[in-house]
Amino acid sequence: MLRSPNSVPKTKFWLLIGITFFLHILLLYRFFQLQVLDYDLYKQRANSNRIRANSVPAPRGLILDRNGKIIVDNYPTYVLFGIGDEIVSKSQNFSVISKATGIDTSYLSINYKNNFRSRFLPTKLAKDLTISQLSRLEEYKNDLTGIIYKQYPERIFNPKIRASHVLGYLKELDQEFLSTKTNKTDYQFGDLIGWSGLERNYESILRGRKGVSYFQVDAFGREAGKIEGQKNILPSPGTDIKTTLDLELQELLEKELKDVKGAGIVSNPRTGGLLAYVSSPDYPPDLFTGLISTKDWETVITDIDKPLLDRVTNGLYPPGSIYKMIVAAELLERKLVSESWEVFCPGYYEFYDRTFKCWNENGHGDVNLEKAIVESCDVYFYQAIQKVDIDNLSERSKMFHHGKKTNIDLPSEMKGRVPTYNYMNKKYGKWGWSKGALLNISIGQGELLVTPLQVALYTNILATRGETFPLHLVNKKINKINKIHIRNSTWKLLEKAMRGVIISAKGTGRRADPKIKDLNIFGKTGTAENPHGEPHAWFIGYGLKNDKIISIVLMLENGGHGGEVAAPIARSIFKKYFENDYKIAIK
Amino acid sequence: MLLNIWKKIKKSPTIILIPVFILLLLGLFSLLSITTLQSQAPPNAFSKQLFFLIPSFIMLFVMSVLSKRLIHKYIYVFYVLVVFAVLLPFFGDKVSGTYRWINFGLPFDIQPSEIAKWIIVLVLARYLSDHNLQMTHFSSNLFPLLIALIPTIIVLNQPDLGTAFVMMSSVLPMLYWIGARPFHLFMIVAPLLSILLAFNVSVFYFWAFFLAIVIFLSKPKLIYGLGLYFGNIFLGLIFPLVWNSLRPYQQNRVLTYINPEIDPLGAGYHIIQSKTALGSGGLFGKGWGQGTQTHLKFLPVQESDFIVSAIGEELGFIFLLLMILLFFFFIYKILRLAINASDRFSGLILIGLASIFMAHIFINSAMASGLMPVKGLPLPFISYGGSFLVSSFMMIGMILNFGRDDGY
Repeated sequence: MLRSPNSVPKTKFWLLIGITFFLHILLLYRFFQLQVLDYDLYKQRANSNRIRANSVPAPRGLILDRNGKIIVDNYPTYVLFGIGDEIVSKSQNFSVISKATGIDTSYLSINYKNNFRSRFLPTKLAKDLTISQLSRLEEYKNDLTGIIYKQYPERIFNPKIRASHVLGYLKELDQEFLSTKTNKTDYQFGDLIGWSGLERNYESILRGRKGVSYFQVDAFGREAGKIEGQKNILPSPGTDIKTTLDLELQELLEKELKDVKGAGIVSNPRTGGLLAYVSSPDYPPDLFTGLISTKDWETVITDIDKPLLDRVTNGLYPPGSIYKMIVAAELLERKLVSESWEVFCPGYYEFYDRTFKCWNENGHGDVNLEKAIVESCDVYFYQAIQKVDIDNLSERSKMFHHGKKTNIDLPSEMKGRVPTYNYMNKKYGKWGWSKGALLNISIGQGELLVTPLQVALYTNILATRGETFPLHLVNKKINKINKIHIRNSTWKLLEKAMRGVIISAKGTGRRADPKIKDLNIFGKTGTAENPHGEPHAWFIGYGLKNDKIISIVLMLENGGHGGEVAAPIARSIFKKYFENDYKIAIK
Repeated sequence: MLLNIWKKIKKSPTIILIPVFILLLLGLFSLLSITTLQSQAPPNAFSKQLFFLIPSFIMLFVMSVLSKRLIHKYIYVFYVLVVFAVLLPFFGDKVSGTYRWINFGLPFDIQPSEIAKWIIVLVLARYLSDHNLQMTHFSSNLFPLLIALIPTIIVLNQPDLGTAFVMMSSVLPMLYWIGARPFHLFMIVAPLLSILLAFNVSVFYFWAFFLAIVIFLSKPKLIYGLGLYFGNIFLGLIFPLVWNSLRPYQQNRVLTYINPEIDPLGAGYHIIQSKTALGSGGLFGKGWGQGTQTHLKFLPVQESDFIVSAIGEELGFIFLLLMILLFFFFIYKILRLAINASDRFSGLILIGLASIFMAHIFINSAMASGLMPVKGLPLPFISYGGSFLVSSFMMIGMILNFGRDDGY
């Protein structure tokens, strides 16, 4: 019945219109809710969907020598990362990388496993990729998922010198370090930080500030262009530090100490600045820059010569005869002996039932204080020390900065040991030690322990009558060390004696003199007996020529006689420094 | 003959074409952004859509001038053919995991269910207008339901839940239009609601209360009333038990379906990204071609199921407001034509077609804005889709045809 009438009541029409209206209003309200009421929420969500922030490492400040020559520089290195969450198949990706770069897949797997922190964070797979390896990788880009590389500035070292202990190295920061930082934005996992040496001490200056680069990614996490209106934050490079080191003196000192164990310090007594700083044996400074192989690491840490130990700041040695100037100062200052007071040295000294030997078994004959220093007569000091109170001597030693840290601008330093009455009692019991122990101390043996760096400060004090500055590697505004109250006559005698060590016919340090016109060398040798074998050889001294001055401290572990092995090294340094053609900027 | 056709066109309610063409342009504009700006070379969704406009306009014309008498006469034959047509894909290959499309060797596949959804309307219109049914009897509703259910169940198994829903969407409004008691229609939907609402105890209490009032006010025979009520309640009680017997992963699958936010990278990922696209568009949008969600591909199926989100992101709430106004005007216009139609057959067809459009509009937008679980239905005139576009214009043609008061 095609023509059946369409007799529908209007109410039905209006009901359907009502339903239609309701449904449209519902949709409209929903759009309004999402787009207008919750706009901020979704806008932020859309941005976090697509915006990725990458931190851009700041180039680290350079480390320069006193003349502005570069000791530590940066060069760009490429590091390969894998993002666990985006890697579809690890084995497939690794084999593609291996095919492109020649890096072994097992190496990649091991690194992935070791460096893995979170599947959303880039995990380091390989370091130091070459440009050609990278371009090969680019060719295979479509076969790779979640593999990215970043450019990092890495440390490169002046090939002339090593100075590994002074410069220190960088290492990836650890949780412990991170927890000490209040400002976490500048430090993230995977960052390299100064872990030792100057790199550590001047971390905050060298580091600079990281930048941020924003880019957008598509739904598959692939980079999809820059973000308009979003400015990248450029990294601000770290500040260079100019050290007091002298590249050429450092080179020479390293050469001289190459095959021995020991320490050498050259400094300027008038400023406290260190010109050369060597602890031998050392390690190549770039040892820690690459992913260090287990084998290399084993070699370094199992070496019985302990190349990782910084002997300058952390090596503890008996000072031997170089300590005698302190005893002399104590004797004179307290007027315990006069300059002309003499002792007969037969080559030994009998103290109760013990015999103390002089190093010269033939004896020195009649010895006054000056001669006792020049010829390093032990018997003189055995006798003189009996007038000395151990606590007074300890005070005097501290005056010359024994037994306290020099507070050099390096992260770690030992303080040495100066025995006091209480110390001896504690160690041996009240009746367990006698004046005999003091006899050993008088010649810088026994309980006394110093670091070569302390000795450097001591030498500078002797060179300037106490008018010296704290030792440092980077110039900054510092005050002179505390005034040392010693009579000029005492200083004079010490200087005369130290001069005698070099020039007197029987002086022990004659070999330290390069015999340059107008150059006056002052010095003292030491031969410190120790339970580890041959005595440690010491030489301390300073050279004066017109207004130029440097001081040298040398310590050769188990090296033998200071005058024989250490003094000649000092001579070559003095020679280099004071020769006319060698110009050096003195600050 | 030609004069005759011209007369027909002149008398057609062509005002309906105004919102249609504006919406079509909006859709093309958006497709251009989605495809060309993502440097997709033709053939892409935009160029294909342009191409499909040719058969669409031809079919628009054909359907608007086709003899109504002829349609009335052969509609049962078409119905049988269409039931076979929706079965046909099962003999072909799976496309994207479903049997929705048939390949006739053409460069594009054809989706017979797109035709089936309005063939059902025509069949129901003829059946309901030819027989003077006692619509106040519940049983009169059953045969029309069966007519719709046969192709729907086939489509449901393709599987295509969205289209199946659309196919059924015209039945209740048409029955209501012809005089069925709202209570009966309510009772047809009630069991489904009883099951769904049983998962929330307080909602289910409310539902049970509401059901009781509706049944009470409708005053059925006591035995029927009690039967209906407790039948529904029983369904609601038994279903959670069935649910608890499911394995956790099966439950999970259903849960994600109901509340997609549970699994942000699974099925819910789509809705979250779609809402983010919409919401981040704000009042005025990010600008044409500037949608980050769209162009960085966070927004899935952006050329059809989620095109409203792409529009919302790039052009903002303003354009969605315009779109909704146009759709409302469009549906309103069809309903007006239906009430003014002089014969029952035409009126029923217009109601059915309006229902189909309404179902598409609502489900698509509600799903893209997270009001409903993802169903995968295109938005009329806007979404990309060949069969859908042609089918939509065929329906427009029929609206022009049956909305024209010129006898037969």
